[in-house]
Amino acid sequence: MAGILIVAEVDAGVLRPEYWELATVARAVSASIPGGVSVAVIGADVAAAAQQAAGIGPDTLHVIDDERLANPWPEAHAAALIQLCGELSPQMVLAPRSILGAEIAARLAVRCGWPLLQDVVQIEATPDGGLQAVRPVSGGAVAATVRIGAGPWVVVPRPRAFAPAAASAVAEITPTRHAFAPPPFATACGTPQRVAVQGLSVDRAKIVVAGGGGLGGPEPFTLLREVAALVGGAVGASRVAVDSGWVQSTMQVGLTGKTIAPDLYIAVGISGAIQHLVGCSSSQVIVAVNSDPAAPIFGIANYGVVGDCKEVMTAFRDTLATRAAQAGRAV
Amino acid sequence: MRAVVCLKQVIDPLTPATSLALDVQDMKIRVRAAAPPVINGFDEQGIEAALRLRETIRELEIVCIAASERFNTDVMKRALAVGADQLILVQDPSLDTWNSYPVAYALAAAIRQIGGADLVLCGRQGSDWDNGLVPYILADLLAMPLLTLAKRVNIADGKRVEIERVLADGSMTMEAALPAIVTVTSELGALRMPSVAARLTAARKQPRQIALADLGAGAPPALAPEVIDLAIPVTGRNCTFIEAADGPGAGVRLAETLLETGAVRLGMER
Ligand SMILES: Cc1cc2nc3c(=O)[nH]c(=O)nc-3n(C[C@H](O)[C@H](O)[C@H](O)COP(=O)(O)OP(=O)(O)OC[C@H]3O[C@@H](n4cnc5c(N)ncnc54)[C@H](O)[C@@H]3O)c2cc1C
Repeated sequence: MAGILIVAEVDAGVLRPEYWELATVARAVSASIPGGVSVAVIGADVAAAAQQAAGIGPDTLHVIDDERLANPWPEAHAAALIQLCGELSPQMVLAPRSILGAEIAARLAVRCGWPLLQDVVQIEATPDGGLQAVRPVSGGAVAATVRIGAGPWVVVPRPRAFAPAAASAVAEITPTRHAFAPPPFATACGTPQRVAVQGLSVDRAKIVVAGGGGLGGPEPFTLLREVAALVGGAVGASRVAVDSGWVQSTMQVGLTGKTIAPDLYIAVGISGAIQHLVGCSSSQVIVAVNSDPAAPIFGIANYGVVGDCKEVMTAFRDTLATRAAQAGRAV
Repeated sequence: MRAVVCLKQVIDPLTPATSLALDVQDMKIRVRAAAPPVINGFDEQGIEAALRLRETIRELEIVCIAASERFNTDVMKRALAVGADQLILVQDPSLDTWNSYPVAYALAAAIRQIGGADLVLCGRQGSDWDNGLVPYILADLLAMPLLTLAKRVNIADGKRVEIERVLADGSMTMEAALPAIVTVTSELGALRMPSVAARLTAARKQPRQIALADLGAGAPPALAPEVIDLAIPVTGRNCTFIEAADGPGAGVRLAETLLETGAVRLGMER
């Protein structure tokens, strides 16, 4: 019987960043859950990713490498995970809260009749052999503490709520390969159409400059892109900017967008609705630019500017550009 | 052909945290003021998806079903006003819960009682408890394939449902044979406004009330974690306001401040 099984999601050949956060959660509770820490790598051509995943020093590493798992097809990936769980009987399955990870976690939980702990920001094993966790609900307005008795459990931690584990030295571990033997599929999927991200993607950048309804249209996003280029960051957006069709939905930050925690988050013309804040409130430094001094965004900002976004951000960009040019000359 | 849209009545998600009252006795989140609830926004988009389908499939019957402890009928009747043919409200005290299983069991039983559905549409998640688990349980109970996070839903030759599924960095098409369950996401677009004529017709229509006890829904498994505490998280930071004579001045000051504190470094690695 395996103790903890971490689902290592591979996205376009690379491990998703949440993997290292899941490793932190596993280490935190592993003392109370006998059976060691195992890792499941599911996908097609995942040898390199599996080797990378071995970096956390798991006790066992399981791989299902199959052409049918090349696309983020929920039914197929869930079938692979359900198959592995049948073979390994884990006590706890840890899955990333990505679009695919959250879905296969739910499918696994319902199929196996295991309790699902979603979106957890804190978790601990209780003396009676259960778990206690904290998770945001109501879009982040409320934190709920939940408790569940004996496992097995499926746990989906909130992205960026746990520090990423460092890869320990070179771990020599031979992966156990499992042949994929799914039941007949009831769904089919096409090849993903990935939209080209202009510049960095929001969930990988250390600095994110995000625009909202206050920008009034798509044009001012050009200004934000210029600022992002100067500081080596990415451009994000609120749902109003996305729903208005000003920018792509891949840029959305918040409850139904991305959950990010960059070093610096600059929110421009964003009111600070709870469903937006839940996606960015863990950022190290938050800057808000808003014409309304009573905007809730200032409540979670370290620095605030009350003013018109175009005026403020144009001068902001120009100052940075001048300084960058000076620095360039000085070198 | 019949489409069932599952609806949930929720607290208005735009209620500020200061207006929420946490009942840590019953572990319920309530609203202080007498603010009306709303239909969960993602579920409204499920209605919109059904209405768009009916633009080409004229004979499509749209039945909306909700399960809750009690209803604000005026709020729920919005489903009829925008064009649903029927609204079914399943009511029972046990449905005031954060546990997705009793709710899904009630919905599945209601769907069976009306003779099934060719397509079941659900919102991606409830804006109150954010569990998003009901569609998965429904798919299991009704033994239907499940396609999730649709921003576009299409029915091909009356037999298959095709969707465009939202991904973190794009989208992907998916399909399944009917009957099937589809969840929709906000990218699908907002629910249309009812026309005046439709609103008048709807005012005369009444929802059908069904007691859970009459459905034979079966006993749901006890799989949900127990809520043992609710709290408003403290997220506040001390905001330093950048003072300047005007907007451009503030922009300059902001840039200088972020450079001084090291929050922004120019020409650094990305
Ligand atoms: C279930 C659910 C899920 C949701 N998920 C998300 C999500 O993932 N992400 C998300 O962002 N939202 C989400 N929302 C929506 C959220 O509730 C808000 O509606 C949204 O975040 C508001 O976006 P906004 O602040 O950009 O726009 P608005 O509410 O339009 O606010 C615009 C702001 O700009 C300011 N402004 C106006 N003009 C100027 C100017 N010239 N200069 C500077 N400032 C100006 C205004 O003072 C205001 O504060 C969700 C809602 C629900 C119910």
